[in-house]
Amino acid sequence: MLTCDEYLTPRTLDEAFAAMATHRGRYRVVAGATDTLPWARQGRAGDVNIPVLIDVSKIPEMNERGANDRRVRLGAAMPFQRFLDDANLGRAMPCMPRCAVWFADDQIRAQATIGGNIINASPAADGTPCLIAHDASVELAVARGGKISRRKVALDKFILGPSKTALEDGELLIAIECDALPGYGGSFEKVGHRRSLVISLVCLAVLVKLDAAGKKFEDVRLAIAGIGPVPQRLTQVEKFLRGTPIDAERLAQAADMPVELVASRTRQDYRRDVVRGFMMRGLINAARRAGADAQALTGELEAAYA
Amino acid sequence: MPDLQFQATVNGRKVARSAKPHQRLLDFLRDDLQLTGNKEGCGAGECGTCSVFVDGVLMKSCLMPVAKAQGAQIETIEALARTGELSVLQKAFYKAGASQCGYCIPGMVMAATAAIRANPFAGREEIKERLGGNICRCTGYQKIFDAVEMARDVQNGKLPASALSEIEAEQGDFIGRNVRRIDAPSKVSGALKYAGDMTMPHMLHVQVLRSPHAHARIVSIDTSAAEKLEGVEGVISSADVPGEDGFGVFVNDQPIMARGKVRYVGEAIAAVAAEDALTAMRAVEKIKVVYEQLPAIFDPDDAMHDGVPVLHDYAPDNVTKHIPIRVGDVEKGFAESDLVLEETYATQAIEHAYLEPEAGLAYVDPDGVVTVVSPSQNITHHRHMLARIIAKPIAKVRFIMSPVGGGFGGKEDMIYQGMLALLAMKTRRPVRLVFTREESIISTAKRHPSRTTLRMGLMRDGRIRALEMKMISDGGAYGLSTEGVMRKAAILAAGPYVIPNVKIDTIGVYTNNTPSGAFRSFGALQTEFATESMLDVAAERLGLDPFEIRRVNAMRDGATTHTKQKLGSVSLMRALDAAEKASAWEKGAPNSRGGNRNDLNRDDVRPPVSLGARFETADKQEAAE
Repeated sequence: MLTCDEYLTPRTLDEAFAAMATHRGRYRVVAGATDTLPWARQGRAGDVNIPVLIDVSKIPEMNERGANDRRVRLGAAMPFQRFLDDANLGRAMPCMPRCAVWFADDQIRAQATIGGNIINASPAADGTPCLIAHDASVELAVARGGKISRRKVALDKFILGPSKTALEDGELLIAIECDALPGYGGSFEKVGHRRSLVISLVCLAVLVKLDAAGKKFEDVRLAIAGIGPVPQRLTQVEKFLRGTPIDAERLAQAADMPVELVASRTRQDYRRDVVRGFMMRGLINAARRAGADAQALTGELEAAYA
Repeated sequence: MPDLQFQATVNGRKVARSAKPHQRLLDFLRDDLQLTGNKEGCGAGECGTCSVFVDGVLMKSCLMPVAKAQGAQIETIEALARTGELSVLQKAFYKAGASQCGYCIPGMVMAATAAIRANPFAGREEIKERLGGNICRCTGYQKIFDAVEMARDVQNGKLPASALSEIEAEQGDFIGRNVRRIDAPSKVSGALKYAGDMTMPHMLHVQVLRSPHAHARIVSIDTSAAEKLEGVEGVISSADVPGEDGFGVFVNDQPIMARGKVRYVGEAIAAVAAEDALTAMRAVEKIKVVYEQLPAIFDPDDAMHDGVPVLHDYAPDNVTKHIPIRVGDVEKGFAESDLVLEETYATQAIEHAYLEPEAGLAYVDPDGVVTVVSPSQNITHHRHMLARIIAKPIAKVRFIMSPVGGGFGGKEDMIYQGMLALLAMKTRRPVRLVFTREESIISTAKRHPSRTTLRMGLMRDGRIRALEMKMISDGGAYGLSTEGVMRKAAILAAGPYVIPNVKIDTIGVYTNNTPSGAFRSFGALQTEFATESMLDVAAERLGLDPFEIRRVNAMRDGATTHTKQKLGSVSLMRALDAAEKASAWEKGAPNSRGGNRNDLNRDDVRPPVSLGARFETADKQEAAE
């Protein structure tokens, strides 16, 4: 059970940094808190006393979000549910709503935050592959001498390993920025022991942009999680497909490429099968949603994989 | 440290109270406001029984620090039927019979309410997805989905309101008639009080110290520091048991709390009653136990060797119960057979995982009657055992069965009621113990893990000539229902089949694992898994259809079982016909499959796992508009 002596809910970044300075070494920052509470239970961390919990979810700047045709900015305390509520966000990030329906369940999605998902740095985090495919970076802030300074780090450099990030003592994750990809088709493929509220065994984010005729990949973005210590971008496969026509044989070749990356602690053979299937299904689903030509993306191909 | 000054609007009423900074919204609603329709099934956000609306959005209150709900509008299950009339959804749950034990139901009703608020036209798939954060263990999902669809249609005018009427369409008295569940309104409204929801004036809260060791001698237990803690009213260990300490279903081998030694991780050693649960927890941490570790044994096969640790003095071979059955001459039967198969089968321990963790409340009434309220599946037996254990005449012991939030056999054992009785006697105050989910899993009985060696001899036409089976079962540290489970496993091992030569041995063995006990099917699962699997293997080897090989061997009306029970009627043939039809079975030997399956797009066949029905409805609605 989690106990604390104080639960602070700062309303501004200044207040948050002041609280962090006052309680240095005795606090933990929470946002949604949906991972912290189950963590402090028997069988995991057990009974935990954290003298001060600092809840940053009520700081307005950390809840802001905005998307135009080029860029997206997400406050770190934004609940995951916003990817389903906000059509503008869904247009700019076409695989995110698909990811969000797989993320936890309807209740937890309303409370759990995008920033928390990143900071947790789970090898199976659902949100991270989508963000990496969008070339996301994180904005980190720290208060020194009464002044808040900020730095940006690419998300794939920020996550160092399971539960490990480049966040430094006294730093807060404020926001995430990434490319807007309107007009792309998106898909998110995930498998776990059940559908809802399950940790991914494998998850794959796919974003594709097709030419005007819907026959050729103009851009492909792929990122995968659950197969190794950190989520990873599949740049080799992206290169292999970019500029090529939608073609069953080439898709099958592309689907084989990341199979060798499987380096999970358990169930490698199973994951290899899943990776191959997800690559096919994900690329086909994303291409269909990007407006693929019916002759290029045949019903047969769809029926076989999607 | 300062308490929080918490303000919110709860079910339309302004609430302003001080709260502990570590409290969860669930604790505040249940403990401070007595809104006990909000249940705690897991405390970890997995089960959904605690779902409430916070500013109109469904949340899991076990994951929400109360401070997060500061200033919010909160709506709980109690709000839905506040006028005294059930909501449309609640009526639909009642009508559809969508409640069994009822423990998940308030959360289900809340999730369903959220689902049709979010999309009043949600299809069945979308409803399923939106209820994905809620678990039912009685497997009542179909009726729950039926109920949500019914409510949706009534709300949309597709069904008349009379569809939810309480008047039964089907009249007459006969077995098989659908009847309304009379307890459903109390369950769908959250009004029903389970043991963990009950309070009494001046009540104390109990926490239990449990063993971290699988097998150890207890050198000493020092409770003095715990007793000195402010707020602690009583601490007990086995020294406090006044009578003959031992309970069980067939053999009374289990003390209320470990006596002299511990035999499994999670075994109760001492218990504390204090003014609040947190104080009791702190006191438990102050109890000092000195252990002398003993070699432990975790495999039932190893446990039967000579020279291994012995768990209970009365059973020097560690065998809890051996049930032998002999019919005919199996060696002769094998010699006559065209095909003899031999395989080994194993099953694992399984947790019952009822949504309601164990809970109980005990008090000594004005006449000195020690009274225990708990979701016990066997109160009469418990009452007799407890009377002997606390050395009181039976008239001075009373058990009250509270609503059982799922049992499945897992609540047949008197695993905690004795501690409650002793603490009520010691403190002369009402005491309540509510298990956490983790505590429930580590300390209570599981389904017996098993390892079965099976030989089966068959004729070419599929007739079984002989069956020889030996099942070794891990009974864990205490006897509980092991004897009965072994008996049932043996009786049912040969299945509903005519077999002239049968030799069966089922053996339950003590180990230092979590005790095994009653679990629905009570042993039949383990042995029949082996027999039925073997029949499939045999069908493949003999080139027979798996349904046909069963029909060839099926007992018919008037058959005599392997234990000489005469069966007036046998429904196996009907069951096989129904299963064959419902499964769209492709006739033939089971050594090829899939070649001519064309059913993947059929309505009643589930497609590969996917999520996103809500996008489909949105597309369809857009198209319609």
